[in-house]
Amino acid sequence: MKEKVLLKLDILADAAKYDVSCSSSGSSRGSGKGVGNARSCGVCHSFTEDGRCISLLKILYTNNCIYDCAYCVNRRSNDLPRAAFTPEELAGLTMNFYRRNYIEGLFLSSGVMRSPDYTMEQLNEVARKLRNEYRFNGYIHMKAIPGADPLLVREAGLLADRLSVNIEIPSEQQLLRLAPEKNYDTVFSPMNLISHSMLESREERKKYRKAPRFAPAGQSTQLIVGASPETDYTILKLASGLYGKQKLKRVYYSGFVPVNSYDSRLPALQQPPLVRENRLYQADWLMRFYHFRYDEILDEKHPVLEQGMDPKLAYALRNPHLYPVDLDRASYEEILRVPGIGVRSARIIVANRRFGRIGFGHLKKMGVALNRAKYFILCRELPARSNTLNSSQIRQRLVKSSNGAGKQLSLF
Amino acid sequence: MKITGPFIIYTYDGTIDGLFTVVFRAFQSRSAPREILSLRLGTQIPIGDITAVESCPEEAGRVRRGIIERSDERNLRLLQVAHLSESKQTDMLLWKYLKKLFAMPYGEYYRNMLDEDVYDLVQTARRVKKEVHRFHGFVRFQRTRDNMYVAAIDPDNDIVRLLAPHFKSRFPDRHWLIYDVRRKCGVFFDTQSVREVELEGNAFELDTGYIGQKARALDEDYYRKLWQTYYDSVNIQERKNSRQMRSFMPGRYWKYLPEKSKK
Ligand code: SF4
Repeated sequence: MKEKVLLKLDILADAAKYDVSCSSSGSSRGSGKGVGNARSCGVCHSFTEDGRCISLLKILYTNNCIYDCAYCVNRRSNDLPRAAFTPEELAGLTMNFYRRNYIEGLFLSSGVMRSPDYTMEQLNEVARKLRNEYRFNGYIHMKAIPGADPLLVREAGLLADRLSVNIEIPSEQQLLRLAPEKNYDTVFSPMNLISHSMLESREERKKYRKAPRFAPAGQSTQLIVGASPETDYTILKLASGLYGKQKLKRVYYSGFVPVNSYDSRLPALQQPPLVRENRLYQADWLMRFYHFRYDEILDEKHPVLEQGMDPKLAYALRNPHLYPVDLDRASYEEILRVPGIGVRSARIIVANRRFGRIGFGHLKKMGVALNRAKYFILCRELPARSNTLNSSQIRQRLVKSSNGAGKQLSLF
Repeated sequence: MKITGPFIIYTYDGTIDGLFTVVFRAFQSRSAPREILSLRLGTQIPIGDITAVESCPEEAGRVRRGIIERSDERNLRLLQVAHLSESKQTDMLLWKYLKKLFAMPYGEYYRNMLDEDVYDLVQTARRVKKEVHRFHGFVRFQRTRDNMYVAAIDPDNDIVRLLAPHFKSRFPDRHWLIYDVRRKCGVFFDTQSVREVELEGNAFELDTGYIGQKARALDEDYYRKLWQTYYDSVNIQERKNSRQMRSFMPGRYWKYLPEKSKK
């Protein structure tokens, strides 16, 4: 029995690894009775060799699947070892990992076994066991299986901290081409159901404090980048709509890892488009924390994020009339738009400039990337619009000074 | 008040009370420290003019009250957290900071992040808190035969006490122990309250952090194996990026992480 679980774990963790979301933040589930809490913000318990945070036990209930999506390793036409847990095995595994502080909780996804309803029911059973039998208050992130009965999705939302439905392919037309058994309706109807139920539960809880929570950590989704020809502009526009309309907490971008190279509907990639993926995350940050609208970052005339520089720098170079920004006077929003200045530094600047003039020394200490910022600011050492370089000169200098830009994958 | 110096090297016992006593004496004798040395971790004492200060709760209390009067409780906590930093300059930084705090008008100085020492103090405390946050993830419990959960840690800073609140609310129904093997100091929770403990002998193997085979629960090795298997299977070969992994999880932390030490 033990050997069996080991084997299943090996197969089903391997099969789940392409789902990139790992965050465990944003919930608050107390530990009145039972064990655990889902309160702490995004604790990473380890990091994979590829540098991703391991926070949750991310695993498939089964890698059996009745569907045949072109971009997926688990599609039915692939010949590979298949396995399925039982709810008891998976709940026990989660508890034992949690008790040892290996994980913050469980991220449960699955191939579609027999039918969407049957699969959703199995996932719910795992969560029910954890919550009711083991009295587990830790974090549970569950996939809502597209096509499952709304009642089952509702039940999932009452058990889990976060639900997600993956859109995967950023346009319906391409989704139909690569996954003929799916369409946007099967994805968006559970998504809308979830956001509606979340709203409802929040309203209820205003009236009765004891009303049940529905997915208190919200919902997220994943978009695969590079398996289909959508531009970055299309992708950001879609993401922006998801944040606005469906009130998603996170959109994850996953550079397509070339699996199923035999399928001629897929592009022939040597390796996953990691730089592009990183630029999309940066653009996403600009929307979520830097008050940028998607159509400020890109537009129909510039539909592609520059690979050689981060999107904020690209924005600044396209909009020279907005700079330089005077650090002693400008608003928080304006300072946020300076390349090389992050959220924390911007806050410190605004809160402390009453004590004196901001200078290079201060900025360096705060971790501001002066090599970029200096072209776009006024401060003690740069009291007036002294630098007369134009955008293309700045661009030249910056691209030269960051030769490794393509390899460096940090945020800003 | 005029303070002369810096001439004197002060030594103290490594506690925050000890450090505050040093500060009190330095003000009292109007003689600024050239260096402040904590004797906690077998520090080498240099030759020179040394004043050994024994910690005095009375005097430390007066410094505490002074800090609260000129700033607030939160700022006192910030100082206490920063003091847990093992970085060499910390004690002198705290001295420089307090000297200014006590010299300036009430309530002004400590908010000014443009002041070098204020900024450094905030940064120092931030680094300590960052390590606390990291260890919320990096602590690895092993189950013992009598169903206790125990973990060895070896963090850069003296943070073991700061870990207790998180694990108390996470595992309120089990006995657990987190032990800093280098500083020989741990926190033990008995489902009611947290206690500081010092263990005799070596309960943990120093190179792996494991407890002895006999003490381990029967399923302990099995779950560790499962965890190691899990760690290996979630890796995506095509995306390998060891540099990034190391920057989030530096090599010095690996020895007590079973997925990295693989023993
Ligand atoms: S339904 Fe999911 S698991 Fe099945 S082939 Fe499509 S993407 Fe893969």
